[in-house]
Parts: sequence; structure tokens; C-alpha cells
Amino acid sequence: MASFLDQDFPDEEEEDFNPQQEVGSDDEDGQRGAEDDGDDDGDEQQPARPERSRSRPQADEEDPNGDEGAMNGTVGDEDEEHDEEDEEDDDDEDDEDELEGQPSRKRRRKQKRNQFIDVEAEVDEEDEEEPEEDDELPADEMHPDDLQELPPGADRDDRKHRELDRQREAQFQMDVEEEAARLKERYGRQSRITGAGTAIVPQRLLLPTPDDPRIFRMKCRPGKEKEIVIAIQGRVTDRATSREPMRIFSAFERAKPGSPLAGNLYIEARRVEDVAAACEGISHVFMGTKPLMVPLEEMPDLLKVQKDKQLEAGMYVRMRRGLYSGDLAQVWEVEENGTMVTVRIVPRLDYGMNEDANAPIDEHNKRKRVAKPLAQRPPPRLFNENEARKKHQKYLQKQTGLSNNIWSYQNKEYENGFLIESVRVNVLQTEDVNPTLEEVTKFATSGAENGEESLDLAALAATLKTSTANEFLPGDKVEIFRGEQKGVGGRSVQVYGDVVKIRVDPGNGALSGQTLEAPIKDLRKLFKEGDHVKVIGGSKYTDEVGLVVRMRDDRVTLLTDSNNAEITVFSKDLREATDSGGAGADSRFALFDLVQLDASTIGCVIKVDRESLRVMDQNGSVRTLLPSNISNKLERRRNAAATDRDGNEMKHDDMVKEYSGEQKAGRVLHLHRNFVFAQNRERLDNAGVWVTRFNQVQVIAAKGGKSAGAGGMDLTKMNPAVKQNGPAPGTMPPPQARGRDRLIGKTVKIRTGPSKGMIGIVKDSTDLEAKVELHAKNKIIPVKKDMLALIDPSSGQTITNGIQQLLMGRPPPTGAGRTPSYAAGARTPAYAMGGRTPAYAAGAGGRTPTWKQDSGAKTPAFGSGTSYGGNSGFGGQTAYGGGGGGGGGGGGGGGGTSYGGATSYGGATSYGGATSYGGGSVWGGTGGQSSWNSVGGGRTPAPSGSKTPAYGGLEAPTPGYNSAPTPGGYDQPGGLRDPPTPDVFRGGSYQTPGGYPETPGGWAAETPGADDAPGYD
Amino acid sequence: MFFVKVLEHTATLHPSFFGAQASEFIIDQLYRDREGSNTGTMMIIAIIDIEDISEPKIVPGSGYAQYNVSYRAIVWRPFRGEVVDGMVNSVVNNGFFVEVGGLNVFVSKAMIPSQLKFTMEGATPSFTDGTEQTVERGSQVRLRIKGLRGEMGTMYAIGSIREDYLGPLLQ
Repeated sequence: MASFLDQDFPDEEEEDFNPQQEVGSDDEDGQRGAEDDGDDDGDEQQPARPERSRSRPQADEEDPNGDEGAMNGTVGDEDEEHDEEDEEDDDDEDDEDELEGQPSRKRRRKQKRNQFIDVEAEVDEEDEEEPEEDDELPADEMHPDDLQELPPGADRDDRKHRELDRQREAQFQMDVEEEAARLKERYGRQSRITGAGTAIVPQRLLLPTPDDPRIFRMKCRPGKEKEIVIAIQGRVTDRATSREPMRIFSAFERAKPGSPLAGNLYIEARRVEDVAAACEGISHVFMGTKPLMVPLEEMPDLLKVQKDKQLEAGMYVRMRRGLYSGDLAQVWEVEENGTMVTVRIVPRLDYGMNEDANAPIDEHNKRKRVAKPLAQRPPPRLFNENEARKKHQKYLQKQTGLSNNIWSYQNKEYENGFLIESVRVNVLQTEDVNPTLEEVTKFATSGAENGEESLDLAALAATLKTSTANEFLPGDKVEIFRGEQKGVGGRSVQVYGDVVKIRVDPGNGALSGQTLEAPIKDLRKLFKEGDHVKVIGGSKYTDEVGLVVRMRDDRVTLLTDSNNAEITVFSKDLREATDSGGAGADSRFALFDLVQLDASTIGCVIKVDRESLRVMDQNGSVRTLLPSNISNKLERRRNAAATDRDGNEMKHDDMVKEYSGEQKAGRVLHLHRNFVFAQNRERLDNAGVWVTRFNQVQVIAAKGGKSAGAGGMDLTKMNPAVKQNGPAPGTMPPPQARGRDRLIGKTVKIRTGPSKGMIGIVKDSTDLEAKVELHAKNKIIPVKKDMLALIDPSSGQTITNGIQQLLMGRPPPTGAGRTPSYAAGARTPAYAMGGRTPAYAAGAGGRTPTWKQDSGAKTPAFGSGTSYGGNSGFGGQTAYGGGGGGGGGGGGGGGGTSYGGATSYGGATSYGGATSYGGGSVWGGTGGQSSWNSVGGGRTPAPSGSKTPAYGGLEAPTPGYNSAPTPGGYDQPGGLRDPPTPDVFRGGSYQTPGGYPETPGGWAAETPGADDAPGYD
Repeated sequence: MFFVKVLEHTATLHPSFFGAQASEFIIDQLYRDREGSNTGTMMIIAIIDIEDISEPKIVPGSGYAQYNVSYRAIVWRPFRGEVVDGMVNSVVNNGFFVEVGGLNVFVSKAMIPSQLKFTMEGATPSFTDGTEQTVERGSQVRLRIKGLRGEMGTMYAIGSIREDYLGPLLQ
């Protein structure tokens, strides 16, 4: 448009001035001409004189060459035609002028001939020949000539008068000219400068005047405005040098999609016809509607610059129409011309799944584009080439590129799953985009390094960059981050409009303590490490409170109070926190609430977001839920109690520790059914919450002093009187059995009293009494506990101190009882224990062997007698029969069902290798397989084998025994045990059970074991 | 920093203790309740002496007697910017927790010098520079308190070892 001006204005101006001037001087008298004269005349008038005198001779010299003649010819064609003498006169007069004071013959003649007119003509002619300056000169110079000419005749008197008149006239003329020139010189230039507009001029003086070109409005097809303007510009340049250039000054449009100005086109011109000419034949312009002249006062409004929101790559926009109407898109690239934009969209594709393959191919349909009903559009999902391949292999093509994931499918390009499409700006909605978190997360650049900021914060910032006044409140700590005063920090004192008044902090040099004003766009909030801040909006972390850990530009990382997570937000979304409240003030659920998810699932809230909750359910799995997915909140029962693994009471706020696994510790949050939710502040995952079953935890510290029970004060502690009465502290109470009394269900014998000798089963018990259901008669009688003795149900053997053991919480079934079970075979697992119990009971004697054996070749010794039975645990398995050689061996050892137990290992294929079995010795020791190996099974068989026979000899029944090496393992114990065992085995061990493990077996076991070991080697 | 400070405490006494020894009970209660406790801004280390025990008043409706006790105590109050020593009690991948007396301080990764890297050797996580400086559970560190937050009964802080002369103490 500027080019229009450049081209057109000079034309106009020249037309205005120069041609008119000449015409004027020709047609009318000199005065008029002088008045009309351009400033040029005045300017050059004075200095021109000497120049002229110099140039005259040159002109004469050139005359013969015809240069000047040609020039004169063009100017004075008509004169030439009329009379040739005039021409000569001209020349003569030139001479005359030069030689001042000499009378000119010709002139005289001329003057005589037609004095008055001639003189006038003379002047005129001279005027023409010597344009501009000559008007006044003749008068000046005539004077001496006339004086010289005076003597020839008296009739010249009146000529003299006329001469005077002319002189005066000329004088006047000159004055006027000079005046005009002076005025021009003083003011003329200014006016011209105003036109050029280079100086700074107040806006109001630039308002259009009625003399300026007018603006006309044309109607056109909405959306095509830009195209038309570009077309007109092309036409202007095309015709600029033609005979009929476009006489318009500018063309523009102010259309924005959807604005009321859409479909309007504005052209600046002087005449309506010019507008029509400019638009004629350009498509999309509605020539039917007449151009409308825009009223003068509305013109400035039309040209007012509106700050447009500039599209930048990374911004979020919304699609206006089409398949993706309403979908969020990310600006990927903005093209130069500003009309096209490449965007990234999550594609909505059905990969041809909804195509009806059998539908008749309709030619019409093919041609017409059938608009798909939008209701059926597929859901947005990232592009999946595998799905595309299923039906649309032919449309799918891999693009070569740096990144490996660019596909072209149905002529559209997909990169990393996103549709990359270039669209016109006007199908994009750039205002009020308001992307939601879900939408944005789809675009989130996954795989951000170290995953700390999975969201592209910079992109979000580009969209949300509108800083508003209400971000800042008086009292906020702010920093000027750009501009002259960059780096100055202070506290805002007052906020008005877009300006914040700041009291500068000390430490800012001369500015310290002063109050200065800064525009909001140059400000950001300032936080220091360790500040306690609250997220006030603009992100998913709204209402989180935490301590600032790091600040980089306007991104602040803080450590939340609620769960020690580090989050990064913009400083504009933060405010200094006064309260230390947790997150989610507006949520129905609070952190650590217990909630019911469904009939069988409960969970503990481990994070409260604005829109969602994270809940850990009873199985330890964590899920994110909407509050609406939660059926209800379970109120915390104040005095809920449970028992831990050891039977100790466990209540809220007790410290518990996991028994196994990670041995997590924590404070009990909730007890529900048989789950305990506990929390440990030092754990970062799941807000430190973990869940497990009651029987997997142990109480390590009850909440201090709470034991008194229901609320109240512990009076005993405070009241000395009560204290004195209380039991003397210091003596350790006997260990209390906790939890269920283990005596229940045990077989007991009544030792004294009226029912002495009766055997029964304990049905129930109190501290001191037990209710015993007698075997003999169907009766339950209460008996004092100390009148009972625990017996082995099958053997009837009394277990010494059995009841005490039970009450102490020791492993319940004591050894003695076991031995018989050994014989029984099925019992064997207990049997293994059996080996040990006597040790307890009997003291050192019983124990030592065991231990030693443990340390040495572990099991064999142990196994020596008893342990064998331990294996019989396997015995339970039917493997016996099926057992290979090994099994046979075992069987042999068993000599009876009891060994059946042993056989089992035969069944256990792992043993299978006879050799390993040799380890058998070990296996006696409770059959831990590892121990087995440790023995070096390979070797054992031999020695053991050697022994087995002996054993076998004893038992005889199992041939397989001998054949298999395994029994060796077995055997070895057998050997050790030799003296006592036979009895045991043969005779039904229960006869001597108690004694047996204790005495010889034990000792025997020790030594031979030792011997054996080298033997193995 | 440690201070000697005069504090006030309101104690209530159950009617069953009314008697000549009432004030002893009160003092007893005071020591038991206040010593070692945390007010959210400071920790009461030890009570030096009792300055005054007011005349008791019966609390209407309950029968308890209320005493106002003023006492002098040694208190410890951490300040922002204070340099303290503490013992690391757990190390996680984005920092570590240090126990400074009764104060739990978190040192974020952002406040650990970059040459100390998080490593997981076996099961013991630690921040180490591979040569002499190692922060792991149980090691002693010197740190500067950067921010403090108090709740009733507890205090939390974040600290920094990203400064000269801060970090693990070499033993």
C-alpha cells in the first residue's frame, strides 16, 4: 500500500503546480502569473542574475548548433509561423540585453510599428524564452534603453510615462513576488514536511480531513478478504506503468473469523469509480453492492491497530470445524504468510473399521463428499500403524525421516502418533482455548528426561501467558525480571491496572527503600528457598502447600507438605502460605481417610487432588479415582483394636513393624477387618502409607501412656496413694500368654483331685481354670490348670512342664509327646521338633548334641534319631510306593509305616538322585534341601551305604533299602543310634520316647557324626 | 539456637490430688508434660526451675483445678539460615532426611552439590561423589536450614548442603 502512495502522489502534485503555472502565465497577465508562480521562481530569483549573464553567451554559441534552437522551436512554434522577424527580434534583443545602453535599431522599428502591443508582446516573449526570471527584468533594463531612445522623437513622452508605469508595476510585481518568496521560504517548507510525515506530529493533527482520499467499503465473500487484497496489490503493480494506473491509495481488510467485519473490504481512493475499477474482475468481490463511503469520523477507527494474539509454535488452539471440531490442537509451525498453520492433533481414526465392505459402490457417493455425521466420529487416539495395516495397508506408507515414526496414511501425515496437518488460521480458535489437564496431557512430551516434568511447561506457559493484575496482591514479594531495572526486588505496595507499585528491598543500591512502579508484564513473584508457599491456581497442584526447594526463572520447585513430593509450578501460581493446611480443602475426602470403594474393598486416601483421589486399597494396589467413584467414607473408629502377630493389642497410632518383607515401620492409621494401614513419614511412595494384615505386623511401641484405656487420666500415675497400693514395680511379672490360650484343644490328664487320672480335651480356659471334656464320660468339668498335665494324645505320655511351655508361648507341642508320633509316622513333622523339645525340658544334656550337630554336619546328627522322622513329613506323600530305589530304601528303614515317612523322599524327585540322597544324613535334620546339598550328597551315600545294611539288618523288611544308597543317609543315623534305636523302631518307639532322644541317641549322634564327616570326605 | 526462656503452662489437677502436695503434683506433671516437647517453633530441652505457681482455680463444670505455672526452661529453636549438625536417617532418590535433635530436615536433591550423586549399592542408597564424601543412613552431616515449618508438636525443615563447609562430616 505504501507503494501506491509513492507512485501516485508525485503525479498529482506535479499536475497541480507546473503545468498550471505555465498556462497561467500564457493566458493571463504577468501579475497573475507571478502570483501563481511556484516557489521555484522566488527561490532562484536573486542568485539567478549573474548566472544568466554568464549563460547568455553560451546560449548564443550553442545557437548555431541548434540545441537552443530546437528548444526554442518547441516552445515557440507558433510564433515562428506567424512572423519570422519576431525570431530575429528575439535574437537581437538578446544582444541588446547584453550590450546595455546601446540603442537597438530593430527594436525601435518594432516599437514604432506597434508600440503598445509590441512592448507587451516583447515582455511576453521574453517571458517565454527565459521563463521565470524575465518578467521583471525587462522593466528594469528597459529603462536605460528607453532613455537612450528618448532623443529621437518627442512623441516618446507618453512612452516615458508608460515606462514609468511599467516600472512601478514591475516594482510592485517584484515586491509581491519577493513577499511571496519570502513567505514561501518561511512557511512553504513546513507545509511540505507535514505532508511527508517524517517529524513527530500529534496524532490529532493527522486525522483525515475532507481533502484526503476517502475509504470505501466493498462487500466480498467472508474469509476471502486477504486473498482479494493480495490480488489487488498484484493488479496495482501490474498496471503501475500502464496507461491507466490504478488510482487507489490502499486496500485493506479488518476481518477476523467470526467478527462483524468479515466480508468487508476497504479501499482508499478519491473517487468511487477508481474503487470499482480496482475491484473489477477480481473474484469473490461482490460488485453488486455499491461501494459505501465510510464517514470521515469513522475512518480512524477502521485503521486502529488491534493487538493480535500472535500464534506461536507450542501454543494450544482449538479446531473450529470439521472432524476435529472442538478438539485441542497444538501449533506445530506457523507459516510465513501467517495464514496457514501446521497443527498437531490427536487423530480420530477408525482405520476403516466402520466401512461397510459390502456396500454398493455408488458413483454419486464417490463423487460427492458425504459429510459424516459428527456424532459417530471415532474417539481421539494416537495413530497406530498396526491398526492401520489391518485394513488399510494400501493407504499406509512409512516416511523416511530422522525420526522413525512418521507415517503417511490416507494422504495425511502422522508423526509419533499425532496427526500433523496444516490448516488455515481461520479454522482455529485461538482465544479462550482453556485446555484442560487431560487434553494437555495427551500432548505432553513423554519421555522428558528424568521424568521430573512430564508436562511441557513451556508450552503451557505460551498458552497461559496472560498475566493479569489480580495475580499480584499488595504484600507479594516481586522481582522485575526485564527492562532497565531488571533484578530489582521488593514488595508490592499497591496494584492498579497493569501497574504495580513496589517498595524496593534494601540491597538494591540507590533504589533501596524507594517506591517505584513497574508494569505487570515485567514482574514476577519472587520466592526464596525455604519459603512456605501455597499453589493458588493454574495447575493441577492447586492448594498444595510446601517449602520451596529451588527456583529457576519463574519455575519454582517445591516439596509438598502432604507427601514430600517435589512439584514444579510457575511462580505466578504461588503465594506465600500462612496456613499449613494440606491439600484439597474442597474435597469431601481428606488425606489418609479410610474409604469404601465397593462391598469388599476399602482403601486409604494417599493423595487428594482437586479432581481426583489416589487411593491405596487393602491389597496394596494404588489407583486414581474420582470422588464419585467412592461409595462412602469410613469413619475412624476411635477404639478399634486388633491383635498383632504376637497376640499383642494394636491400636491407632501405635508404631508397628512389618514382621517379614521389608520390615516397614509405621504408625497405625486404620484398622479394618484384618488389615492395618500404617504410615511412615520417611517413606516417599504413596505418602508413606502401606498396608498389610494384622498377623504380619508386630507392635514395637504403643502410643505413649495410652494403656489406661478409655480416655481418662491415668490416676495411678499421678496419685501417690494409688501408687503405693499398686504392685511393687521392679519384679518382672511372669511372661503372660497373650491371645488365644494355646491350651485349648490339647489333651490333658488330671493329675490330682477327685478326677485324678482322667484324660480329656481342654475346651475352654480362663486364667486359672480350664474346662476339660473328659474322654471317659461325656462331661465337661472345670479343673484348675495346675492340676492338669499335658499328655500326648496318641501315646498318652505325659509331657513334662507341657502346660508351662504352652503358657510361655513356646512352640507348643513338646518333644516327648512326639517321639511316639515318630513311630506313627504321620506325625513326623512334629517329630523333628520332638528332637528339640526334650532339650528344653531336659536342659543341657538334651540340647548339646543337637546344637553341636547343627554346627557340624548339621542334620545328620540331628536326624540321627529323630530327624529321620522329620523327613517323614514327606512321608505324608504317597510317594512311598512309587518311590524309586531311594524310596525303597526309606521304606526299608521304616520297616513299617513310620518309615513311610522316609519313603516320601523317594517320592520327591529332587532326591531322585540317589546320591543326593546320600545327603540323606542331612535330611534327617529337617529336610531343608539346602542343608542337604551342603552335606555334599554325592559322597554320603557310600559311607551311609555301608551302614545302612546294618540298619536294614535290623529292620530287614526293605530290600530296596540296601540297594539304594539313600538309606545310607538314613542309615547313618541308624548307625549312630544303634543301641537305642532298634528299640524305638521295632518296639514302637513310644515306649521309651522321652528318654530316647535325650540320652544315648543324642550323645551317640555327636561323636559318630564327627567321625562320619571325615569319612565322607 | 539455645535459649533460656520463661514460659507459661496451664496445668489442671484432678480433684483426687487436692491436698498439701498438690503443687508437687503440678510440678511433676509439668516436667512430665513439657520437657522434651515441641511447641511447633521450639523444643523444650529442660526445665530449669519453676518461677511461680498461681493460685488454683476450679474449672467450672469439671471440678478440676487449674494452675498457671511459669517456669524457666532451656529451649532449642532452629532458625532459617542456621547451620546445624545432624544424623541422616533415610536416603531417598530425591534427597535425604536428617534428624537434628527433634527436628526432621529434608535436604532436597536441588540442595545437594551436583558432584554428590545418588547411588544404590546393594540395598543402601546413598549420595556419594565416589571418593570421600558419602551421605548414607547414619552418616553425620552439617547443613544449613533453609526453611522451617511448624505444626503443633512437630517441626519440619528443609536444608541445604550446597555450600562450602557443609555436607557429610568426615570421621
